[in-house]
Amino acid sequence: MSKRLYVTPYRCIDCKVCEQACSLAKTPVPGIPAKPRVQTFKVDDQTNFVLLCLQCDEASCQKVCPTDALVRNPETGAIEVNDRCIGCGFCVQACPFGCMDYDDIHNEYIKCDVCKGDPACAKYCPTGALVWDEKAWTDQEAKERTEKKSTDPFSIALEMAKK
Amino acid sequence: MSKTKTSKTVHLTIDGQNVEAPKGAMILDVTPGLGVEIPSLCAHPGLEPFGACRLCVVEIQKPGWDDWYKQLVTSCLFQVEEGLKVWTNSDEVRQNRKVVLDLLMARVPASDVIRDLGNQYGVTKTSYAEVDTEDTCIMCDICVRACHAIGRDAIASMSRGPDKYVDVPDKDACIGCLVCANLCPTNAIPFTANDNGKRRIWGKEFDLVTDERSGEVLGTTEYIEHVRKRAEDKGLLCPEDMKHESARVKRYGYAQKLSHVADVEEPIEEVK
Repeated sequence: MSKRLYVTPYRCIDCKVCEQACSLAKTPVPGIPAKPRVQTFKVDDQTNFVLLCLQCDEASCQKVCPTDALVRNPETGAIEVNDRCIGCGFCVQACPFGCMDYDDIHNEYIKCDVCKGDPACAKYCPTGALVWDEKAWTDQEAKERTEKKSTDPFSIALEMAKK
Repeated sequence: MSKTKTSKTVHLTIDGQNVEAPKGAMILDVTPGLGVEIPSLCAHPGLEPFGACRLCVVEIQKPGWDDWYKQLVTSCLFQVEEGLKVWTNSDEVRQNRKVVLDLLMARVPASDVIRDLGNQYGVTKTSYAEVDTEDTCIMCDICVRACHAIGRDAIASMSRGPDKYVDVPDKDACIGCLVCANLCPTNAIPFTANDNGKRRIWGKEFDLVTDERSGEVLGTTEYIEHVRKRAEDKGLLCPEDMKHESARVKRYGYAQKLSHVADVEEPIEEVK
């Protein structure tokens, strides 16, 4: 099974390290960072939220694109924007999750392409909320990761120290 | 297995480099990443090749031809072939591009893009009589093709011969998306992107839809309606008002909408 980006929302502490890592990894011109492909939000004291492309099987962005500029990379399984893009912005309007974006500094349409198989966000995530993992999770692991838990940084650090 | 693979790719030589290319691709499409530079104004990878600007001419030689015999073709319209030899920067090619730039400079003397390209090829002043115009349109039809691609067909080339010009005959068809203006190689389409909630292009004025909460401009009314219809035609049941909360959170910074996520007590049902 190929690798995937796994998100564990309860581990996210909204530190924005993934946004910075993404921004710098995707910088096309040195010195002018790009808009990040991943974003985190604070919902309330207990809940944070990682917004990341889901790489849908039947992706809306891909379907509305008039020039077939969004193509899935068979190696990583991620949909990538290629040079066929004419900049109509239909994909931004069509994505129901808000994961397509327009970078107005570099004038290009952007989405997560898992850094061609080496995602910077997962590399730098300090709490393990974003993991680039090879094996599928067991039921127990999946259950652990979907359960509601505190996002208090101290308790997460404690939990990580125990392992 | 290997037999089918060889029939789908062809091998050619570009400036002495051996290149493997998919069958049916144009010469211009296979040059990125090779370090060869072919200037082009009317070509775009996402649009139909058109061959209007003639700047991408290259010299070719097919296998079996005499050594002295070469042919000039536009690389945006010429398909790769097995054993083809291509020269992208020979004297003959440069001479041809000079003539094209000389003519373009006479046609659109006000264009900075053409002047810069001319300087690269040593054409600083046109040898023909300059047309007295501030217009910088070179009739490359990239706007016409782009408008066709997004499904509006609003822009068309009007009239014939030297009087040919590009315009929007049916003003209702234009949705003010600015794709044509952004793709135009010589910036010949004047527009105002945002002037107090109004957008002006092709002599038409559009109302911009701005989000109340974040103040972000989402597009013109006609543009959003067009995308909604297009999404519906493709069977995507997700118009603007039915979008997932995450889209709203990002677009509007509207985190309260997501608060129900925190209320989920039971873990998601396991798939067996």
